[in-house]
This record gives sequence, C-alpha cells and structure tokens, in this order.
Amino acid sequence: MSFLRGGAAPQGGVNMEKIEMAITELDTVTDFFNRMVQSCHNKCISTRYADADLNKGESVCIDRCVSKFNEVQKKVGEKLQSRGAANAGPSTGGFL
Amino acid sequence: MSSSQMPGNPSFEAPKKVSGFRTVLKYTGIPPSWLDKRPKLPSRNWLIFWSLTGSVVGYYVYDRRQCKQIKQHYIDKVKHLSEASVDPFDTPRRVTVYGAKWPGDEDYDQSLRYFRKYVKPILVAAAIDYELVAGKRHGDIAKHVAEDVRKRRRLSEGLDQDSDVTKALPTYKPPAERRKQELAGGIVIVGRPTFKEFMSGLAKGWTQGLEKVDEDERLAHILEDDGKFDEPEEELPIGVYEDGTLKESATPSPKASPVFSPLQLHQKPPLSSPSSNMSLSTPTTPPTFIPELPPLLLVPFTNYIGIKQIPLMIWGFFNQRQKVQSGAEAGYRLVMHSTRPFDVPRHVSDSIGDDGSHSVQGGDLDFNKEAEGYYKKSLDDLEEDIDISRKKYYEKLPEKLATARALSRGTREPTKEEYENPPPTEVELRAERLKKERRWRDDVAGWNIIKAGSPVVWDSRFQDALKVFSEPPKHDEEQRS
Repeated sequence: MSFLRGGAAPQGGVNMEKIEMAITELDTVTDFFNRMVQSCHNKCISTRYADADLNKGESVCIDRCVSKFNEVQKKVGEKLQSRGAANAGPSTGGFL
Repeated sequence: MSSSQMPGNPSFEAPKKVSGFRTVLKYTGIPPSWLDKRPKLPSRNWLIFWSLTGSVVGYYVYDRRQCKQIKQHYIDKVKHLSEASVDPFDTPRRVTVYGAKWPGDEDYDQSLRYFRKYVKPILVAAAIDYELVAGKRHGDIAKHVAEDVRKRRRLSEGLDQDSDVTKALPTYKPPAERRKQELAGGIVIVGRPTFKEFMSGLAKGWTQGLEKVDEDERLAHILEDDGKFDEPEEELPIGVYEDGTLKESATPSPKASPVFSPLQLHQKPPLSSPSSNMSLSTPTTPPTFIPELPPLLLVPFTNYIGIKQIPLMIWGFFNQRQKVQSGAEAGYRLVMHSTRPFDVPRHVSDSIGDDGSHSVQGGDLDFNKEAEGYYKKSLDDLEEDIDISRKKYYEKLPEKLATARALSRGTREPTKEEYENPPPTEVELRAERLKKERRWRDDVAGWNIIKAGSPVVWDSRFQDALKVFSEPPKHDEEQRS
C-alpha cells in the first residue's frame, strides 16, 4: 500500500474513478474465485474427508473443473463485452 | 356370477351359504360388494395394451439397469487408481481423443458424444485426464494430426525452440519429458472414419516437409492464373466464356492447374500431393525411422443415420448395454495399459499412392470396417455435387465481376437498389472465391480419405512405432481385486 501514500501526497487529488474501478475489478475477481472454489469443491471433493491430501481422482477433477470455469468465464466476458459494445449505451461495468 | 343373475329361488338361496372370510368380515363395515368381488381378466384390448406397454417399459428398465451395473462393475475395477494420493505438481496420465465427423451427419461431434457417454466414465473413475479433438469437417483430424507431427519433428530437429515464456512457467517440462508423458498416455480413436483420418494424417506428417505451409496462400498461388478473374474485354472473351460455362468446368482451368486439380484428386489419394510441396523447400528428408508413438485405443462406433436405419436405432435404444459394455471394455483396456504391436498382415505394402484392390486389408487395418456399410449411399455423389455447385458458382461469377468492375471504375451509376445494399467488390469476390475453393477442395480431399473404397493409409515405418491397447491378462485383474 506504499504506492498509495507516495502517489497521494504530492498530487493531492487522487483519481477516485480509477480507485473505484480497481475496487470493482478486485471485487469481480474475488467473486469469480470464490464461486469457482465453491463449485469445484462441490463437484470434485467428497464430504467424507477420508484423507488430508487430495487424491489423484480429485486433483484431476479439480484441474478440469478450474480450466472449464475459466474458459466459460472468458467466453461469457467476451460475449458481454461485444454486446456492450453493440449497445454502446449501458456499459457493462464490472466485467473483465 | 351368472347364477346370481338368475331370477327366482336360486338367487335367493345362494347368499345364505356365506363362509370363510366373508362371515368374519361381514359386520366390520366393509361394503359387501367388496367381499363379493371376484378377480377377472380385463378385456382383450386391455390385455394387449398392458402386455405391450409392460414389455416395452420392462425391456427399457432392464436395459438401463444392466447399463448401470456394467458401468459400476468397471468403475469399481479401476477405482483404486484414483484413490492414490499424488504430489500436487505431478501431471496425471493424459490421453488425446480424436473424433471425426461421421459422413453424412450434420452433427460433427457424434463420435465424441459416444466417447463421453460410454468411455469417459471409466477414465474419470481411473483419474485419467483427456483432451478432446473434434473434426468439424472431413479431413480436419488428418490435418490436425499432421500438424502435430510436424511441430514435434521441428522441435526434435531443433528448428523450433520452446518460447522463453513457456520455459519460465513452473509447470514447464523439457520436450524429452513431455514425450515420455505422452507415451504413458495414449490416443483414443472413435470409429472408422477417425481411424482413417488419423492414419492418413500420421503418414502425411511423417512424410511431408517441415516448413510451415500456409494453405490459403498455396491455394491462392494455384488459383491466381486460372483466368477466372481475367478481363473479358481485351483477350479472348470467347475463351473465358467457354471455360466458364461449357464442358470443362470440373478443372478450374485447363492450362494453369496441373499442380492441384480436383480431377487429379479424383485419381489418386490426396496424400501424394505433399510430395510436390516437399521438394520446394525442406532441408530435412522424411525420417526412415519413426520413434515410438503413444498406443492407440480403437473404439468401435457406428452412427446410424437416415430413415432406413431407424429400426437399427430403435434396436440400439433398447440395447444400450452393449454399447456400455464395449465402451467400458475399451476404457478398461486403456486404463490397464497393456499393449500389443499393431497387427498388420505381411503383404500390406505402403498404400500411399496405389489404389488397387483394397477391399480387405486385414489385421488392425480392418478395424470396425463393417461400419462402412452404414454410410449413406448418397454420399457417393459428393464429388459430383461439389462439382455442380462449383460450376454454378463460376457461371454466376463473370456477371458479378462485371458489376463490381463497372461500379468501381465509374462506367455506370449504381442503381437505387445497389445504393441500398452495395454488391460485393472485386476484392471481396476474390476472397469469397478463395474461401469456396478451399472448402470444396478440403471436402473432397477429406472425403477421399474416409470413403468406403479408400484403404487405410499404411506406412511400413509405422510397424515398430504403433501399438494398440489390448485386453489385460486375466490373472492381473484377479490379483487386484
């Protein structure tokens, strides 16, 4: 957080819009991550918790799940962006 | 029953002789009509209805239960593999699955669907990762495989290096290690068309030159002086006309296309075309020895399409257990990783180039051959159909071209209609033509690979390189269980 102090003091007016944007972006990323963890956990890991470590089946499943999640996220993002660009009016704020 | 209906005394006396449970239950309040109820068969029509419905539903339920049992049986057999714990940075065994388009089917991913439904559960249970490669058009798998082989050869020849970015990744592995991993994996081939395309691509990849070939550019080069876009005014308007409309529209131009014309394609398998571009540039000759390739898993698959095959579809619907069985067995073979050499009869020589009698090749080359009988007959005319559409297109082309040129040079004013939706410019026409030619040629080449008459491409260098997954020995299995 040192860059905030360094940047804020000399200029005085911090660009609030940018910070706003950064916060929204962080929110989306966190939200995306949490959702991914939750759904992949539900899908791949049994609730018996027999072992402390992941076993082979679970790790393969998680690999696939995460990559699929990312893929879909990317596709949806692209779609939304292109739609947003087409509509031009309502901006699709908050998406990567 | 009938006696109680009779008028007079008998009916009066009959109810007196009540006995058994009727006497006991008489005063319990249960309606007496219930006690007198006697079971009887429903009418004939109801019998027919119920027996038909019952047997159909029963057969369906039985089949699906069997499916589940078979699947579960195989899953239990391989489950121990997925329960071992691993280091998080270990990469699991990974197989590549190829599924080509089934000829005549609009859905290109039928073979992959088959894989997902019947083979995948076993792989998932055994913690084997898989990568799906779908062929959207005929020949796509062949191209993909050839391209992969080419990349790999370039890498091993030292022509290409892994980029620095890839090397910096924590999961980076040097090529040698990747090769080892690949060998531990395998290749899944679903159905006969995929098999043919795969073998053809493999042979192409190991025979062809190593430099990058831009197909579009090559085609553009071939097409550039075939006279289709020539100006009709100055030079031989008759010639172009003849060329466009009269007899010889199968070959785009008589003079300029000895390199790659559909007519030639017709005569020999498309594999021989690489030889022409190999001479152009390659510094490396095709290797005389092919290093070991990952073992193949041949999954039999037949896709029924068309009205005539509807009975077979219905039969298949009620006998899914057979597909489950065959798919699960295939998956189990892959998981157990016991291989045997590719079985090829001695007399099969390199089948690149010759197209003599190839009805039966024998050995593994005849894998799933009976499926070819189910191809649609109408597909035999595929090449003619393409020729017809090509002819039609070229007949219309001069007219469009004239409009485009007239408008661009300003020799005439565009009409009102043309203002609203402007006709394609010459550049657009050229691009469109290139795209169309590309598609036609690719389709014909792809179809020539997989059609029923053409043999599976075999190269004697494959003999030592290829392996097939085979049935695991029985005692092995018992030990585990």
